[in-house]
Parts: sequence; structure tokens; C-alpha cells
Amino acid sequence: MDGSYYPSNPLPQSSTSTNRFSLTAPSSSPSTSTSTSKPTTTAGRIASATGLYTSSSPALAPAPTGILDRPLNKGKGAEVGMSAFAFLLAEVVSYSQSRVDSVTDLERRLSSLGYEAGLRILSLILLRNTQQAGGKDPKREHRLIPILQFVHTQVYKYCFGKPADGLERSVEGEDEYMLTMNQPPLTQHISIPKDMSQLSCEAFTAGIVEGVLDGLDVPARVTAHTVGTDQYPQRTVILIKLDQKVMDREEVLGK
Amino acid sequence: MIHAVWVINKAGGLVFNRSYSDVLPPLPLNAVLILAGTLHGIHAITGRLDPTTNSKSRSGPSSGQGMEAFEAEGWGGRVWLSGTGTKFIVLHSIPHSGLDELLRRIYEIYADAVMKNPFHTPEMPINSSLFETRLQTLIAGVNT
Repeated sequence: MDGSYYPSNPLPQSSTSTNRFSLTAPSSSPSTSTSTSKPTTTAGRIASATGLYTSSSPALAPAPTGILDRPLNKGKGAEVGMSAFAFLLAEVVSYSQSRVDSVTDLERRLSSLGYEAGLRILSLILLRNTQQAGGKDPKREHRLIPILQFVHTQVYKYCFGKPADGLERSVEGEDEYMLTMNQPPLTQHISIPKDMSQLSCEAFTAGIVEGVLDGLDVPARVTAHTVGTDQYPQRTVILIKLDQKVMDREEVLGK
Repeated sequence: MIHAVWVINKAGGLVFNRSYSDVLPPLPLNAVLILAGTLHGIHAITGRLDPTTNSKSRSGPSSGQGMEAFEAEGWGGRVWLSGTGTKFIVLHSIPHSGLDELLRRIYEIYADAVMKNPFHTPEMPINSSLFETRLQTLIAGVNT
């Protein structure tokens, strides 16, 4: 019984090997110029990984358009398959996991990846909103509550297809807000092993929120916590702890 | 009635087994591992016996279709081999309908909850609470 009875086709999703993400060297595709210009950031690596997929067959596509050459206004085919993203995130997690010592470090790493995504998502959403309004009256929230509602509704809708399930202020402090999602789509297939029960891979989402908030000049410490209920065992709370500076500014601005 | 679900990796190791009825005799884990390994071997041998596949077109010993079902008085088993060499086996009472559909659903849950989980090592025992929960729901729906 040595596996030789069996087809030797490799498992498509196999392997904890990390070579998918070690594409820091300039990839063969001419269009992923961002990846070569910023090879040191982890986000740059991911951009290069995705860029490689889009242009993996230059022979078939005569004029390969890189992800940066596409129009920024919302077009068809802008969605990414949930399975594709689930596999990508699974590799991101196992790649990160092989480079950290503790759960806290892993969460920090995932969060910093999300942060980079959040900064870009913010610019994109603001640009699209302005374009949709015909370039008139560009809007950028500056007060705390509208900003949080913007995250709750628009950012979540852009990322996950639906708004978050709840936004509430913590009973513990004025500067703490909670965004809840009953079934977080990004991590729906991940089950945390018992010895890492503190971990929540939604740290990635927390990073996105932190990036968006930071881009709107609302610095905050954002963490993710899995608080399961009987109905929703994967219910996740994104805890936003705002910087004192934000609270001071809100007080000055008044009602 | 579904009695049990087994998942056997492509090397013949049992990576998951769970009983869903109390009529199945409880066996020590080692015995189940041996049974699964034997089943893996029988599946491989029956694959080589397959007379329906043209022997000239065979590139390797694996091209034949192996055993798909076995039956005994009142109960039986259904074997399904995925494209990646993982075998899914259900032990069931006879007669039982919808087994093929059930095996596809099990495979779907496996693809979702096991292969997309970064904490799973391929070919190693499945240790995913999500997989167990979703399988439990599926089987409970069939068994009622």
C-alpha cells in the first residue's frame, strides 16, 4: 500500500508550502510594476501574487492588462470568488503562522496586512462615490459617528457584500465601539485549533477597519474577538478603541 | 440510517472516522485503522482487476475503477474516490437511497471546512470542529 496505486495528480490546494507568496523577486509578468517597486512590504508581495494570476498566460492574452490598468469605476467582474479568496487567506494565514512565535504576533501580522488593504479600500470607495455623484459635491466624513457608520455600511458592503450586523458603543468606555458580524465571510471555513483558542483570523478585518479609520484621521486600536452565540458560533466583534486625540477633537467640535 | 463516515487519505491512512448510530459496535481506534487500511488495499486490488478499462490505454495501475460498494445482511458500505485520491466511505443500512448525493455533500463540506482551513495539514488527521459540526448536521438530517 504505497500510494502508487493512486493517481499522482497533485492536490490543487495542497501543501503548506509558501512559494505562492515568495514572489518578491520580479515576476515574469511585465504588468505588475507595483510589486517590483515595493518589494519589501508584505502587501506588495500579495499584490504581486494576485498580479501574477491575472497575467499568468501572456502568450494567450496579447495585451495583458495589469490590475492597475483597469478602470477604477465599478465594472462587471469586479467581484472575487469566495473560494478563491478563502484559499488565498488560508495561505496568508499559514504563511504568516510559519513566521511568528505567538498568537499575538500572528494577529498583528494579519492586522498589518488588512491595514494596507484598508487604506486602499478607503481611497477607492471615496473615488467611486464621487464618480457616482458625477464629480459634484465630493464628500468625506469628519465626525466620529458618521465615520463609524461609513465603515459599518459602505466599507463592509464593499468588502463583504453586506453591512455589518451591528454597531454599538461599549458600555465600558466612551471611546470604545464595537462592530459585530454574525457570520464573517472571510474566515467562515477556518476552525481554530484548541491550543490557539485566543486567535481570531478576523484580525485581518480589524486591520481593514483600522486602515480605513486611520485614512480618515481617526487613529484607533482595532482588535477582533470571536464571541460565539449558540445561533452564530463564529460571531465576531471588532473592537475599536479610539485614540484620546479623537475624543478631544470631538469634544472641541461639539454637537 | 447512516452508521458511520470514514475518510481515508491517499496513502491508506484513516484521517477521520465518526459513528452516527449507537448500533455500531464500538471498536478500538487501532482496529478501525487496520480496517481502513485493508479497505484501501482491497479498493486498490479491485481497481487493478477492472476488465472494463482497455488495458492498452492504461498508463498506470491506477486507471481502473475500484470497488464502489460492499454489502452484508442488513448493512453495507459505499466508497467514493475523489479526484485527489481521498476516499470517502459511509457505512449504512440497506436499503438506503441517495447515497451518491450524500457522498457529494460530504465532499463539499470537506472541501470547504478542511481544505480551506489554514490549520489543516494535508494527509493528516482532520481536526476541524467546523467539519464535524457540519457533518453532524448533514447526517442528522439524513438519519431522521
